[in-house]
Amino acid sequence: MTADRADDLRTLWSELVADHAADWDLAGAIPPDVVRKLAEAGALCPEVAAEYGGPGLDAHAAGRLAAHAGSLCSSARSLMTSQGMVAWMITRWGDRRQRELFLPALAGGATAAVAFSEPHAGSDLSAMRTTLEVHGDEAVIDGEKVWITGAAYADWILVFCRHQSGTAAVIVPSDAPGLEIEPVPHPLGCRAGGHAMVRMADVVVPADHVLPGAGDPFGLQIQSALAYGRLSIAWGCLGIIRSCLSAAAAYAVKREQFGAPIAKHQLVAGRLGDMYAAEQIVTRLCEHAAACWRDSSPDLVTAVFTAKHVGAIQANAVAASAVQILASAGAHDGGVVARAYRDAKLMEIIEGSTEMGRLHLAEKALAVWA
Amino acid sequence: MTETTQNSVGTGSSTHQELLAFLDAKTGRTLDASSDLFASGISSLFALQLVVHLEEKYGVTVGGADLKMDNFRTVDAMVALIGRLRGATG
Repeated sequence: MTADRADDLRTLWSELVADHAADWDLAGAIPPDVVRKLAEAGALCPEVAAEYGGPGLDAHAAGRLAAHAGSLCSSARSLMTSQGMVAWMITRWGDRRQRELFLPALAGGATAAVAFSEPHAGSDLSAMRTTLEVHGDEAVIDGEKVWITGAAYADWILVFCRHQSGTAAVIVPSDAPGLEIEPVPHPLGCRAGGHAMVRMADVVVPADHVLPGAGDPFGLQIQSALAYGRLSIAWGCLGIIRSCLSAAAAYAVKREQFGAPIAKHQLVAGRLGDMYAAEQIVTRLCEHAAACWRDSSPDLVTAVFTAKHVGAIQANAVAASAVQILASAGAHDGGVVARAYRDAKLMEIIEGSTEMGRLHLAEKALAVWA
Repeated sequence: MTETTQNSVGTGSSTHQELLAFLDAKTGRTLDASSDLFASGISSLFALQLVVHLEEKYGVTVGGADLKMDNFRTVDAMVALIGRLRGATG
């Protein structure tokens, strides 16, 4: 039954994106009715359990769906990552009432984004300045968030804040008085991802919109959200890689130069071989990370980071090769390899930059091998 | 109350041994049951790894209300937390 549901969602993604990704990239927006249809089908947070009206996909099936979405349109896939993160946070940390209130909505048409970054807090989220104060039944949020993926489409934003001596996560309706959303003009990649600045001045929400654990001294909830996001992005990178392989291989057998298809020229063939290997490597890393997620293995933290790290780097290498192979046929905005080239670069920045990934993996290297 | 739980498990319990072995394997640091983990500067990523481990290994759920420094400061504290969470669910 779950397999059927996964197939249905895959088909829905294919039908709704169809051949529109180029237009959405050029327009810098996905039509709202497309986002709504994806949300209504639960296609943006496919792990939400059946008891909450969600598709109930497991980590592998949800990952494969994210890869499929990523192969079609990284902007739309990035909405899936954001919404999936919110649904995961409510599932993992929310109380029963929050789960019953928000999960059916998220799996049935509502949209959501997650707000971490601030003007002075990117890789160093401990520098966050947005504050949450709770006074009786009310929670008050003040601060500014930047580059919030999906914020332009979101009904709710899960906002991470400073609270007491730690951090807290609170669900804020995007139409709350005092909350202002300003789209990022002309982003480099995932141009239709609805990235926006979110400014909050004395925004008041019911105190029960705050996830339990407010004051979390470890930043554990942030890491928990990022772990989900990284796994989703790793699968999204796999989608980028697959779309590039598909475009480059098809072109290389068709395009003739020097009296032969360019696939027969060794310098081109060499790129195709490397691209094939990259797809295999990232597939295995994603599958391993999904298995760690399914099994609640403590290794999942590193497995997820590794998959995201390698996935993003490989997506960049593969996209660069694909542009090189298609050459003038690929060097126009909106086209599949041009989008991949720009979108892949963002994957090295969001949810932990490549630099942060390397530092974490270096820590592991020392813990395991020193 | 915490003390009773600790005493009933004992500082040399298999849970203590297992957690110390886990910390040794994952951080490369040899600690004892009362060593302050935060004094050695654990990262938030490692904290997540630790919570996932407690949940998977001992069949408990660490909820938001338990996200307190004192619950994770030492192996003793974590053993007490596990005991309390098991009592709560069982």
